[in-house]
Amino acid sequence: MHNVRLHLPFSPLALCYGAAGILLVVYIGLISVVMGYATLTVEFSQSVKDDGAAIALLEGEYLASVARITGTDYVVEGYAKPLSILFVRSESSTALR
Amino acid sequence: MRAQFRSRIRLVLAFIILAALGIFVRLYFVQIVHGDDYSQKADRQFSSGGSGLFDRGTIYFTRKDGTLISAATLSTGFLVAINPQILNDPEVAYAALEAIAPDQISHEAFLAAATKKTRVYIEVLHRLSEAEGQLLASKNIPGIQVLRERWRYYPGGSLASQSIGIVSFGSGDTLAGQTGLEATYDDTLMRSGDSLYKNFFAELFSNVGNLLVAAKDAREGDVVTTIEPEVQTRLQNDLMKITQRYSSKESGGIIMDPSTGAIVAIASNPSYDANNLQSVDPTLLGSPLIESVHEFGSIMKPLTMASALDAGAVTPQTTYDDTGCITVDTKKICNWDLKPRGVIPMEQIILQSLNVGASWVATQLGQDKFREYFTKLFGQRTGIDLPNEGRALLGNLATTQQINFDNMSFGQGIAVTPLQMIRALSTIANGGVMVEPHLTSAIRLNSGIERSIDWGETTPVFSATTARETTMMMTAVVDEKLQGGNARIPTMSVAAKTGTAQLTDGQGGYYATGRYFHSFVGFFPSYNPRFIILLYTNDPKGVTYASDTLSPTFLDLVHFLIDYYAVPPDRGVATTTPA
Repeated sequence: MHNVRLHLPFSPLALCYGAAGILLVVYIGLISVVMGYATLTVEFSQSVKDDGAAIALLEGEYLASVARITGTDYVVEGYAKPLSILFVRSESSTALR
Repeated sequence: MRAQFRSRIRLVLAFIILAALGIFVRLYFVQIVHGDDYSQKADRQFSSGGSGLFDRGTIYFTRKDGTLISAATLSTGFLVAINPQILNDPEVAYAALEAIAPDQISHEAFLAAATKKTRVYIEVLHRLSEAEGQLLASKNIPGIQVLRERWRYYPGGSLASQSIGIVSFGSGDTLAGQTGLEATYDDTLMRSGDSLYKNFFAELFSNVGNLLVAAKDAREGDVVTTIEPEVQTRLQNDLMKITQRYSSKESGGIIMDPSTGAIVAIASNPSYDANNLQSVDPTLLGSPLIESVHEFGSIMKPLTMASALDAGAVTPQTTYDDTGCITVDTKKICNWDLKPRGVIPMEQIILQSLNVGASWVATQLGQDKFREYFTKLFGQRTGIDLPNEGRALLGNLATTQQINFDNMSFGQGIAVTPLQMIRALSTIANGGVMVEPHLTSAIRLNSGIERSIDWGETTPVFSATTARETTMMMTAVVDEKLQGGNARIPTMSVAAKTGTAQLTDGQGGYYATGRYFHSFVGFFPSYNPRFIILLYTNDPKGVTYASDTLSPTFLDLVHFLIDYYAVPPDRGVATTTPA
């Protein structure tokens, strides 16, 4: 019985070194990708919050406008109260719209 | 030799695998099992809040067209901190701060902070705008740090502030909802504090955890309320006018959909600006409409009448002899004007607000039935999604003296919250069922799903026929009595009832004269109502009856709502009336 010996054209040790080198590069690459992704996520998250805050300011202006209009005294502003009020017919399509 | 090499390799491999497994298990325990403990420990070791900016969900108003407007959200800007150990020239630093944000920190306070050389981080200025923060940061002053900051912002300021609530530190070291919807939905609005500096393994494990139970996405979200901002503004404006005009202690109001219990507007005056809490009276932070009980007076009469009609004790055609005053258990009960009406039908009791008539109806109903109906109406909390709901004072229901039942029949000797009152009166408006009053319609989860909240539980109290008969009596109040009949809207049926109750003197009795609690309830269109409105004003000066204080406000709100929601007419023909 003969021992079968595998003859490789390269040294297994060199293969291990090569594999370890590739893994190291991949690992470093993975870390940089994860960190880059985290940075982008943080920046995006902050920009979303900033936009939300800007919208909130606009909403504040809108609600302040509503309050100002509601609080307007039309008589003080120079308008006169109507002499009479006309109530529309119940079958009016305008009123039902 | 080769076999020996292989066994060594296997040994090394096994060692590496074991070591990797050990690290893996250790990471699991550090990041997941004890993650919160380590996080809190880290927070305690750093003076700056580096673990993350304040984050919290949004509370929305809902406009009539479904547009969402923020009621409570976040604002972003910058805070300024100093490191006294590096700050060499405090005067120069202060001058730079004053140039950018004048009068926001005193010279003395800044210098006092700068002299604390044992400290490395002292916050001296908050809530700088984006532009101010960027400008200060660009100056690169040694010892001055410009850091991002977020805070709770209420775009409406005082708009529905007592219902929306506030956040504060309370007893813990994190900002949490303390009152209103902020407290009720704190678990939904609170964010779990995702750190900006994420750990890959922690993310891996936490995401696996989320896949398994999805607890965070199912819990965190935004709250959508039923409050309509323009209606709310109108109600608050009207209440402020009442309080100012009559120097009332307090005025309040609720506008609700009687068929669903959705509250469109709820307010009391005085209130507070949620963006400026420094000088707020703490007693104003709660909602008196939910927490305080009052004796409402004659707006209780429709409920007495409905109970008697429903029990079959009386019919709308039943008559009685009104003598103006009666004596019950040695106590005298009189009509508001002390005058007798003679033999009159039931409708007149509501139309003329007759105490003697209400007492007579209560006697016909009997104590057991009266107790049964009023326990159904006021015996349980409403279940509103606001904290600290008050309990109705129903002690007189447990007695057997007829005088107590007679008093309760016209709203004295029974104290309930405004919310409990409008809920009970909604039974007349909606065909006889008790609905669940509520302020929120949905939760918008972070996962993108909008989860509607089911408020559909109803409790039948009166028959539809009873509700309709009582509604007819209340409609006659507006058509014939209110403002001498001038309040009648030719194209819209409106049902209403006024109430004027004597105020208690705190000594177990009532003030003899001059101090009253005014209330007003109404709904429209009478027979298929879109809105029910409850108003009250506490201790108004220089006026006796609610018909004087609250009628104009009620009618203003009715006309506003008809216009704003384009409520179609339910009766009548074209008519011109005096303005």
